[in-house]
This record gives sequence, C-alpha cells and structure tokens, in this order.
Amino acid sequence: MKMSQMLYLYKRLYVQQLKAILEYNKDFYILMCSAALTQILGFVFLWVIYDRIPDINGWRFWEVTFMYAMIFLTEGIGSLFFEGTWRLGRLVNMGELDRYLLRPVPVVLQVFCTGIGINGLGNLLIGGVIVWQSLVHSPIHWTPGKAAILILLFITAVIIRVSINLAGNSAAFWIRNAGNAFPLMVHNLSDLAKYPITLFPQAIRIFISTVLPYAFISFYPATYIFGKSGWSGWWLLAPVAAIGSAAAAYGIFRYGLSKYESTGN
Amino acid sequence: MMTAAQFKMYRSIANRSLQKVLAYRISYIITFLANSINLLAIYFLWQGIYSGREVVGGYSWDQMKTYLLVTFLANSVLSWYSESAISGKILDGSVAVDLLKPIDFQTARFAETLGSSLLEGGMSTVLLILFATFLTGVTFPGSLPVYILFVVSLLGAIVVKFGVVYLAALLCFWSTGSMGIVWTRIALTNLLSGALVPLAFFPDWLEKLALLLPFQAIIHTPSMIFLQQADTGESLRLIGIQLFWGAALWIAGRAMWNWAVRQVTIHGG
Repeated sequence: MKMSQMLYLYKRLYVQQLKAILEYNKDFYILMCSAALTQILGFVFLWVIYDRIPDINGWRFWEVTFMYAMIFLTEGIGSLFFEGTWRLGRLVNMGELDRYLLRPVPVVLQVFCTGIGINGLGNLLIGGVIVWQSLVHSPIHWTPGKAAILILLFITAVIIRVSINLAGNSAAFWIRNAGNAFPLMVHNLSDLAKYPITLFPQAIRIFISTVLPYAFISFYPATYIFGKSGWSGWWLLAPVAAIGSAAAAYGIFRYGLSKYESTGN
Repeated sequence: MMTAAQFKMYRSIANRSLQKVLAYRISYIITFLANSINLLAIYFLWQGIYSGREVVGGYSWDQMKTYLLVTFLANSVLSWYSESAISGKILDGSVAVDLLKPIDFQTARFAETLGSSLLEGGMSTVLLILFATFLTGVTFPGSLPVYILFVVSLLGAIVVKFGVVYLAALLCFWSTGSMGIVWTRIALTNLLSGALVPLAFFPDWLEKLALLLPFQAIIHTPSMIFLQQADTGESLRLIGIQLFWGAALWIAGRAMWNWAVRQVTIHGG
C-alpha cells in the first residue's frame, strides 16, 4: 500500500474517532486538564528541589526540565495520535481484532486509530511550553544546523516512544486478562529517563539506552543541545535507535498477530 | 450502631475483596513492580541531589531514605485497585444493583478497601523490609511506642485516603469517565500529602496551605511519627487531626452520595 493511501486512511479513521470523543465533552476537558496538572505538579517538584540546590550531578534546573518535559511531550503525541496501542489488550481479549483482520487495511494502522487520548493535548501543550522555556532560559548558540538537528531528534523521539508503546502492548497476545499492567510497567520505566541517566548505575543506563531506548527521547538530545562535552556524539545514534525500535516493535506485533486466536463469541 | 449481623456481613465483603486481589495476583505483582520502578527512579534522583551535601531541607540522606520507604508503604496500602473498584461500579452501572441491596454503599466500599489494603499492605511491608536490609543507614525507631503510634497513624491514613478516593469516585456520577478524575486526584494527593517531597521542602505559604488540608494526614503524619520528628504528645495530636479528617470526609462522602444517587444514569441493560 502506498504511503499517500495510508495517510489518507489514517486521516479518515482518525476523524471518525474524533467525532466519537466530542460527544462526551465533559470528559474531554477533564482529561486534558488532569494531564496538564499532573505534569505541572512534577515541574513544581523540580522547582522546589532546585530552590535549595544549584545543580544535580552538574545538571541545572532548565536542563533537567527539558528532559522531564520531553518525556511528557512525546507521550502526549503518542496518546493523541496513536492511542490505539493502549486499547490492544481489549481488542485481543474481546475478540474485536477479528473485524480488523477482515478489512483490506493494514492492521497496525487500524490499531493506531482505535482511540484518541485527548489527555495527550494537555501533555502536548504543557510539555511544549516547558521545552520552549528550557531552550529560552539556557545559553544556546543557535545555528540553522542546530535547529534542524533538534527537529530530527524530536522526530526520532516520537518514533521511539510510539514503538515502545506498541511493543509493550503487544504483550496482550501472550498475557491474557492481565489488564494493562505489563505495558504500564514498560511505560513506567520512562520515569527513569526524566532525569539525567548519570544518576543511575551502569546497568540501568545501558538498559534505557538499548533495550528500551527511552534515553534517546530525553537525555541524549539534552546532551547535544546543552553541549555536555562528556557525551558529545552519542546523539548521532538516535536515528539508529528509532529505526531499530520501530522495526523491533513491528516485528513483535506481527509475530503476536500470527499467534492470535479469536476468543470466538 | 452496627449490630453483630451487620458486622459479619461487612466482614464477608472485606474477605471477598481480599480474595479478589489474590485471584488477580499476577496483575497485582506486575503493578507492584511498576511502582517499584518509580521508587527506584526517585531513590537515585535523591541520591544525586544529596551527593556532596549533608543536609537538604532539614533532612539528612539517611532520613530521606527512611522517608522514601515510609512514603512507599503508605502509598501502597490503598492502591489503584480499591480506587478503580468504586468508580468502576458507577461507570458500568452495577451501582444500580447495590442500590437495591440492604447494605450501606459507603460502608461496604470501605470494607472492601480494608480487605485489599490488608493484603497489599502486608505484601508491601515484607518487600520493604527485604529492600531496607540492602540499604545502609535507614533509621529505624528504637522504641516500641513509636511503632504502635506509627501503625495507628497508618490506619488513620487509610481512613483519610479512603475519604478522598471515595469523594473523587462519586464525581464519576457526573462525568462519564474515571481516568481524568483519578489522575487529578493522584496528582493533588501526591503533592499535598508530601509523597513527592517532604512538606518541609515547600515554600512557606505552600507548606502552611498543605498542613491545613486533609491530604497531609496520608503521608506527612506517618512519616513524622516514624522519623521521630514528632514526640509522643505531638504524635497523638497528629493522629487526632487524622481522625478529624477521616470523620469529616466520611460525612462529606455521605452528603455527596445522597446528591449523587439522584443523578444516576445507568447505561445499558
């Protein structure tokens, strides 16, 4: 299937979901505000701590908030446009996936469009503001090249985030009736990447740089943008991490799908 | 007053909810592991904050380690399960069945919460003791009365937290989803109870405000007692405040229930 066709289908499926969401507009606002509030309170946490100390392991306030916000921002995009990954457990357990298998549309595309996490909008807005403020408050020497690399790193960050979500939720093909517990655990591991990974023991650093490359969402982009000389060049691996995690996630999803047996009801 | 027959009824509700946690034990263990990841992240963050510093915000590193463990325990005794059980009943309409039963809804939910809290708290305690043996410098109080006061304050914390959770869950009568409400509840409780940072770290006005609200009874009170930052008299006063909030929230829950059942819309049939 051609890319343009895929995009067209994605748009059509997405708009259908949007209509469904706008029916319940009370939830729409509550979810958006609660996501924003959760994130702001995390920001308050860092602010309260930095009020007492100048730096953590050589990382200053706005540098840490950048990493912190990148985790939320990419999550926001993930829920807003690819929320369906989180519904995979229900699709499998209720046998609803059967319907998707019958249509001549890639299954993964249909899964992506199974829902819209409107909370993503809150994360996107507040995360965007914090990232922007972090960049404004730090002495960065801007060049067109640097801006281009920043955009590239941002795109790779989103790809990594969505890939990990898809891979984690594919566990639904194997674990029956465990709810969202397993993918939530995978998701919680991103908490580690909200802070400089230099805080953690070597094993954890390697883990969140390779197996679940959350560090390429937040830490490695930060080392590039804020010119942390000890880590120069590592960010170059971000595209590799993005392609690797996308391929791995799709592979896991396909493999799970081949194991899928309908619940039959 | 509750009669013996009623007591037996609520005890069997508690028992059933305990068995439910056991039935979903894999799910529970995975959730517990997930929460441990948060603890790990926060632990290393604080370690970084304390590197090269003796005292931050009036807490030494040893005290902070203890604080993190107490927070984790107090937070895990009343978990996600109890919370989603109440809002789930409202959202899927099974509350309609409860309205027909000769059982008080609030008391029944409290019994349920106690049932699962007992198991969840027990498991957390065992795991935390294991965890604490690997950590150096965790300061355990040396005298028995402190432990007794601590356990009492933990029970008080459950009552207050139930009050908050119950009120939040009843809001689902008015909204059609629970996630947003639950998240907001968690975010506010974490900040204002002292689960994120000890209240002493806050700027003055925020600390004063937090101490006036019920949330501080959930984490701040047990941790003050365990870290022996409050003497016996002060501890008793803090527990008194817990009881006050527990009762106030209970009455508020009752009032809100009376309002909420009139809003009831049951979906499906």
